[in-house]
Amino acid sequence: MTFAGWITLFAPLAGAFAITLAGTRIGRRTAGYIATASTMIAFVAAVVAFVIALGKSPDSRSQLSTLYTWIQAGSYQSGFSILVDQLSMLMMLIVTGVGSLIIAYSLGYMEGEDEERRYFAYMALFVFSMLLLVEGGNLILLLGGWGMVGLSSYLLIGFYHRRASAVAAAKKAFVMNAVGDATMAIAFFLLIKYTGSLSFSVLGQPAGNHWVLNIVALGLLGGAVAKSAQLPLHTWLPDAMEGPTPVSALIHAATMVTAGVYLIVRCNAAFQAAPHVQNLAAALGTVTLVMAGLIALVQVDIKRVIAYSTMSQIGYMFLGAGLGAYADAIFHLMMHAFFKACLFLAAGLLIHALGGEQDIRKMGGLRKLMPFTYLAFLAGGLALAGIPPFSGFFSKDPIIASALARGGWFGYTLWVAGLAGALLTGIYTFRLIFRVFLGEPSAFVREHLHTDHGEGPISMRWTVGVLAVLATIAGFIQFPPFWEPVSKWLEPVAPPLVVPTNAQEIGTLLIGVTMGATGILIAWLIYGSHRFRAPAASETLEQKFYFDELYDAIFYRPAVWLAKALRRGFEEPVVDGSIAEVVIGTRDAARWTARLQTGLLRTYVFAIAASLAVLLVVFVAVR
Amino acid sequence: MNGPGIVWYLALAAFLFATGMLGVLLRRSPLIVLLSLELMLNGANLALISFARHAGNLDGQIFALAVMAVAAAEVVVGLGLIVAMARKKLTLDVDKLSILRG
Repeated sequence: MTFAGWITLFAPLAGAFAITLAGTRIGRRTAGYIATASTMIAFVAAVVAFVIALGKSPDSRSQLSTLYTWIQAGSYQSGFSILVDQLSMLMMLIVTGVGSLIIAYSLGYMEGEDEERRYFAYMALFVFSMLLLVEGGNLILLLGGWGMVGLSSYLLIGFYHRRASAVAAAKKAFVMNAVGDATMAIAFFLLIKYTGSLSFSVLGQPAGNHWVLNIVALGLLGGAVAKSAQLPLHTWLPDAMEGPTPVSALIHAATMVTAGVYLIVRCNAAFQAAPHVQNLAAALGTVTLVMAGLIALVQVDIKRVIAYSTMSQIGYMFLGAGLGAYADAIFHLMMHAFFKACLFLAAGLLIHALGGEQDIRKMGGLRKLMPFTYLAFLAGGLALAGIPPFSGFFSKDPIIASALARGGWFGYTLWVAGLAGALLTGIYTFRLIFRVFLGEPSAFVREHLHTDHGEGPISMRWTVGVLAVLATIAGFIQFPPFWEPVSKWLEPVAPPLVVPTNAQEIGTLLIGVTMGATGILIAWLIYGSHRFRAPAASETLEQKFYFDELYDAIFYRPAVWLAKALRRGFEEPVVDGSIAEVVIGTRDAARWTARLQTGLLRTYVFAIAASLAVLLVVFVAVR
Repeated sequence: MNGPGIVWYLALAAFLFATGMLGVLLRRSPLIVLLSLELMLNGANLALISFARHAGNLDGQIFALAVMAVAAAEVVVGLGLIVAMARKKLTLDVDKLSILRG
């Protein structure tokens, strides 16, 4: 089992190395095949591990395997080890399964792109980083994977490095993530100080006082919030759409943004020891899910709408994880991986066929022109809106039901907000679908659409097809309250804190579906049948609640002002000035010394004789 | 041991040295300067030998031999330079020969 885990971990890394070392000796296509094959091997190994684990008793499904002692410093030591348990196996399956599909899709999408080899090497590295994150057997390895995910996302978001906006977006993502990395590092320092170890078992131990526990949980939450693009560290995610579309799919579906949810579930003991921080996680998730849903209503870039829907859906997962409904959060993470990858890749088909255009105002009437893409997008959209029997229906509503089970004013508020989010999801998703696919083909579409090879290369179509099928039927794995294999599977790792009653579950299910359907109806009335005019988009929403402007005013401008002031007040007069003084002094001294050298022999001899006389006098006098 | 005392020898050595030094300082012809240098060296040699004799060992005499060897080599180089300068029809005046100054 652990052996398969090691293969899963290192296959993508080997792929990335092979592509990098082979350089131009292999063709661009070959690089793509290597990346795809390496992640597929990882997926097969993950399936093998999963099947082996299925045959074991629930107690022996968690295995730690150490390769060697990695760090040893004083009494602290940690090994290079992987933890293969129920949670990491699910994550391995998602990361490698969806990841390899996305890389296979890239074979067609990136065809003819410059630097394709670099792209595929980065993609394989990205998958490896995420696998290191989910398989890491202690917190320090988790942090290593965490940082490498940040690095790979930076490399891929900035893949089009000749475009200034892509470079800026990559930098933004990296800096935002670095904030989270820093808070996590602080939490780890505290853990080392108070428990002397970074293995998962020390989390939540009553070490130090409750302040320490709270700060540790808060630090972990900071990391999770940054990586998962939740309020208040979310602003990098929409900008990250600057990368190629499969990269967006990889970031949103299989890797990166799900890392925060994984972290909370993995470190649930730390959060249970700090209930206030756990509530904060749920509250942040809820605020994010509503806010992102509102912003998604007015965005006009097809990828940005999907990006905000990701933020919103991750908000649901945070809500679930914060409430203690860990299995529901992870189940939603799985379903989200399927339908979000499906949506992104279908959007990629559109963008590919329209020559890179992403503005939905220029699209329209694509249903008849690209029927396959339409069906795939529709499947993803219905799953996103939580309409039965699509996958989102099974996974979203149990999370909202957990809020009801939590009870109290806090639980009820979250429940209402979660349902409001479901309404928003229906509206923004189907606004997108109706605008892009229904109606008559727009002038832009008639002019620019080129579907010479069908709707896209075969590698792009079959992957979208697989994901669309998964988005449609995968939800049947778990249907609370009737059958819940995922919850049972995860129970030894993260026992749930709240269990909704059947009535709560079914009631929420019904209301949730109604909300989603109402949202679709509203979208239909406005964007489908044009019976109502769309209300004017609010300035606040278009400016995304002014978060970028706020951070600009709070962090960027004071920093620039301080730097300029220091330059004028310190660097120029003190640092530069003192160096200039030293230069002038040295030059003067040299000029005076040079004057002594006359070139006249007699002056030299005289100097020697005179000094001899002086020495003689001194010698005699001292004696 | 009879004969003049060491002071006489040293006085003679000092006189030779001073004569040579005045020659180096005051004369302009490189040839004379070179000659004066030889005088200074011989003054020093005389002092060395006097002390060696006075102290009763051979150290000073060996020094003097070394000085003679160096002086011979120096004269060869110096005279060679002077002949070369004369061939180039440069003015043989040490005050004018200052183009190599830093």
